[in-house]
Formats: sequence, structure tokens, C-alpha cells
Amino acid sequence: MFVFLEFLVFKTEEMEINLGPQHPSTHGVLRVKLRLDGETVVQCTPIIGYLHRGVEKICENKTWFQGQVWTDRMDYVAAVTNNLGWAEGVEKLFGIQVPRRAHYVRTLLAELNRIASHQLWLATHALDIGAMTVFLYCFRDREAILDIFEAFCGARLTTTAFRIGGLREDVPPGMDRMVRNFLKAFSTGIEEYETLLSENRIWKKRTVGVAKLQAKDAVALGITGPVLRAAGVPYDVRKAFPSAAYAEMDFQIATRPEADTYARYLVRLEEMRQSARIVQQCLDGLPEGPVMAKIPKILKSEVCEVYHSIEAPKGELGYYFVGEKGGANPYRMHVRAPSFVNLQALPKMTEGNLLADVIAAIGTLDVVLGEIDR
Amino acid sequence: MDTPENGTPTPEAPAAGPYVYDLAASPQRQVVLPKTAPLPSLKAYRAEVAAAQAADEAKWQKMLADFETAKAKAAEEGKPEPKAPVRPVPRKDDNDVKTPFPTEAADPDLHRLVELLADKVEEVFEQAGELVCQVRKECVLETLLLCRDDEQLKYDLLADETATHFPAARDFAFSVVYQLTSISRRKKLRIRILIPEGFEPDSAFPAYPTANWLEREIYDMLGIRFRQHPDMTRILCPEGWEGWPLRKEYPVVGLGQRDIDFREDRSGVLMRMAMEKAGQMGINLKVPKAD
Repeated sequence: MFVFLEFLVFKTEEMEINLGPQHPSTHGVLRVKLRLDGETVVQCTPIIGYLHRGVEKICENKTWFQGQVWTDRMDYVAAVTNNLGWAEGVEKLFGIQVPRRAHYVRTLLAELNRIASHQLWLATHALDIGAMTVFLYCFRDREAILDIFEAFCGARLTTTAFRIGGLREDVPPGMDRMVRNFLKAFSTGIEEYETLLSENRIWKKRTVGVAKLQAKDAVALGITGPVLRAAGVPYDVRKAFPSAAYAEMDFQIATRPEADTYARYLVRLEEMRQSARIVQQCLDGLPEGPVMAKIPKILKSEVCEVYHSIEAPKGELGYYFVGEKGGANPYRMHVRAPSFVNLQALPKMTEGNLLADVIAAIGTLDVVLGEIDR
Repeated sequence: MDTPENGTPTPEAPAAGPYVYDLAASPQRQVVLPKTAPLPSLKAYRAEVAAAQAADEAKWQKMLADFETAKAKAAEEGKPEPKAPVRPVPRKDDNDVKTPFPTEAADPDLHRLVELLADKVEEVFEQAGELVCQVRKECVLETLLLCRDDEQLKYDLLADETATHFPAARDFAFSVVYQLTSISRRKKLRIRILIPEGFEPDSAFPAYPTANWLEREIYDMLGIRFRQHPDMTRILCPEGWEGWPLRKEYPVVGLGQRDIDFREDRSGVLMRMAMEKAGQMGINLKVPKAD
């Protein structure tokens, strides 16, 4: 009896463990220092920088055209949206007017990339939580998008899809059919993901009410993208500050009020559907005309600073450029990486919760370390 | 190591010769500092335009005067009158490039800021459709709190914060910019401060908690410390890193990298040494020749 009572008043001792940087569920080289009390997280400190390559410094020594290549290597699962941000930012700095057809093709490819990025997110997030089949389904469908990129620019991941002033070449013959085939396959594919997960009891147990982040905290922490929209804030850069051809597109901003992991899953699924709608509209309304503006061979900037942001799959992706007079390369280039800012919310989402939910929280934030460390 | 008479060992002299790569002389390590400080500003732009116009006018006046003297000379010598000069018009290019220049502040938000902050505002202007407000470096936190809380401004999201190094500027060394977004009003605003070397601006953390990591990144990359920041440590570089990578005097090749550069090995000395070393270790690096 006495021994039993001793167990009731046992003292707990806090323990410090490292999650990563080689842990497969941290999606790259993220290291999270956790202070645990039993299975409860007391303190969570993300440690980053293992993939730092100094992209900003390198781009300051490359011309306006060459720098775009480096944007592929930041968010490497959504290279096309990175290219879009770079191209539009530089065009804003120079005041270049891009033809309407180029805007449409850009929008089409960027939205396809959003679908591909969300598919990769769903695949790995579900795999982290324990659902293996979704991974295979998502990768099967994502393959078609990579094939479309390959047909368009010859590369599947590091695309460098656009040029400053438009596109290098018009869309190849037959790409139209590829995209239509993909859309047809995708409409059934996304239903398959939903049948696997949406009403799955284990999935709901692992996601509903997990890693909550209320709207007030999210805005204060600068969170953007699906994580913010799943907290009920309808902020989408495509609607708020439309660029490319988004002003002419008909789509809705997906929001949910619950602010938990399950809500983010639903928001991203809805976003994929809306992206497919935009792709369809781009295909149907693709205008005729040139795809490249008339720009000089060597771009020489004036004294100017711009901050241009677009809606990347992970959130607001911003490029800040400073140009000097007669400068053939950026005087200063800075990337506002959505994952970098979003990862700041990890302590807020995990502290006081269970260790297993840390994995769900990292997955639901959808971070890409290439973009965080740059 | 040989010890001299007094008993203290002399440090070993660095091995001279072509084998050791001279770090300081490396072409990748050479830094060309910028000669101008490209800070966009309405005042500077106006001064530049006025100076260009004055130079243009002076050139034209000189052409006219030259024509008069040539005419007088021709009349004296009885030659036909020379051709009258034509004022040169700027060459028109048919590119789709319309460079955005700074313009007068027209947006009500900027007027509101000027009204609220009065003489704390140094400059307001618009460029490329973006609103810029430069304030005095001491009152940046006050400005940010005002932007966040004022009913007519309501800039609730700090999208980005970054800094730029201007080694060629005389009275400041860095500009720090804050990109604010108003979610409800769909507007963007840029707050800018100019700070000299060693000045510690107030942290934006009390107004926008997202500034925590953004300011750590600025500190890591440019060495600007922020006052009352909760954790002013390096974030991307390791803790013991030397230097501030995004300053203009920092070379593109980082310090401590690539001590031997095989691309510089024109005579193949380094490669031969590597082969010999490999041979000593029993590794055959030579490509076998076909009979």
C-alpha cells in the first residue's frame, strides 16, 4: 500500500530531446529542440540554417536574368510560383508591360504547381500521421503535372519557367490536351483522397483539434496562406493584390473557422479544387498574341525599390528588390519566404500538447527547408 | 620546430610556393564596393532631374554660342553660312519598359501619417504603386504601433522586414524597411528608417511578434542589433560565424571556404600532388589506357 502511494506523488523530470535534423518527418533538415515533461511538450525551439546557401548574396552578384535560376532552389516543390514572384517583381521594378497571353500561361502553370505542391504536402503529411495509401495516390497524380512542366520547359522540378517580360516560348503543341487529361483525372483523384481521409476515424483523431492557432495569434505572427485561412481570415494575395491574370479569374477563397489541423486539410483540398477551376478558365480563355514583351537585351535599372508578393502554395511569397542606377544586377535582393515566417508559429501550436502532435504540426505548416534557410 | 636561444618557439612560417592558395588574392574574394548609395527618394530624384535639365540647357547654350562664332567666322572669311544647330531630342525607344519614378504622395494613408506624426516624418512618396514613408530612426516603434492601431490605417500584418547596406552613403549606413499589409483594407505600406553604423533601432516585436525571426535574420546577415529584442542571436549562420554576410564588403565566397582551388591550378601542380598522395595511400587515380 505504501509503495502504491509513493507512485501517486512521484516527481516528474523534464527531458530535452532533439527532433531532427535527420528525422524523416521534419521534411528536410529542420531541427526542433523539445523540452518534454513525460509526453507533454513544455518548450519547443525550432533551429534552422542547416541548408543556408546565401541565395540573397549570390543573387546580388548575378544579373536580373540569372537570378531567377536560384529561385527554383528555394521552394523546390513549387518552383514555378517562385519564378513567377521573381519575374513579376523585376517587371515591377522596370515597369515592363507583359502581354496578356503570357499572363494567362503563367497563371495556368502557377496553379498547376499549387496543385502539385498541395499533393506533395498531403502525401507526406498523411504519411507522417500514418496513412500510407494517400502517398501513392498523390504521387501518381502529381506525376502528370511534372510531365506538363517537362513538356513546357524541359525540367520537372527546377523549371525556371518564365522570362522577365513574358515567356521564352509559346506553349508547345499538345500541352493543351495534356492539361485537359490531367484535369479529368484530377477530378476523380481528389475524390479518392477524400474518401480515404475525410471521414477516416484515425485521421480525424489525429487532426481534429490538434495544433490550434487562432486568427488573432496567426495575424500577429504574420502567418499567411492556408494556415491563416483555416483560422477564418480570408486573406489571399491573389484576391487582395491580384497580379498575373488572377483579376480575370473566377474563384473563391477557401476558409474554415476551426483553426486546427483538420481545417487546414480541408482548406488545402478546397484550394486544389479552386486551382483546377482556374486552370480550366485559363485554358478556355487563353488569348492569342505574343508571349514576350519588347525589352532591351541588357536590363539596366534606375534607383528604385519594390516589394512584390504573390500567393505561393505556402503563403505570401515576397521579393524585395533595390536597384541602383545603371545596375545590371540587384543592389539588394531579399525573399520573404512564407515557410520562414510560418515556422515561427510552431512553439505556439505545440507547447502544452503531446509529442506526437508536433509531427502533425510540422506537417500541417507545410514547411520547405530550402525556402526557410535560403 | 627549432627553438632559438631565448627558448620561445617561433611560429612555423606558412609554406610558401605555388601549392598554397592565397586566400586574399583569390579573384572570388575580391570585393568591389558600390560607388553610389541607391536610396529611392523624391527629393533626390527631383534634384537629379533638375541637374540633368540644367546640364542639357547648358549644352544647348554652348551649341548656340558655337554656332554664332562659326557664323561670324564664316562671314569674315566670305564662306557660306554654316548649318544652324538643332536641339537634340531624347532618343525614343520602343521598348515596353516604363521605369517607375518617385512621385508626390497622393494616397490618404500617407497624408494621415504625416498628419499624425508631423515632424517625425522625414519623407513620403509613391513609387511603382507602392507607398513609402520614411520616419526618424528613433520613432519607428511609435510609427508601427500607430499604423497597427489607428482606425483609419489598420495595418495589422507585418509582411516583411529587411535591411540594406549602403557603404557609399555619407550620413547613414543602413536602411531598414518594414512592409506592412492591411488585410481588411487591402493596402500595403512601407515604413523606412535610415540608421548609421552602430545605432540600435527599437525592435518591432512589441507591435508585431513576427518581427522576432525577421530581426534575428537582419542581425545575422547585416549585424544590426535591435533594442529590447527577446533573443538577439544568429539564426541562419552558426553561432560562431565571423562577419556579416550581406554587407557589401563581405566576399561572395564565404570566409573559411575552399582553401585549395583546383581551378587556379593551371600548371597542374596541385593535381599531381593529389595523385602522388593517392599513390602513397595505394589508390590508383590514373585512368587505365586501352591497349
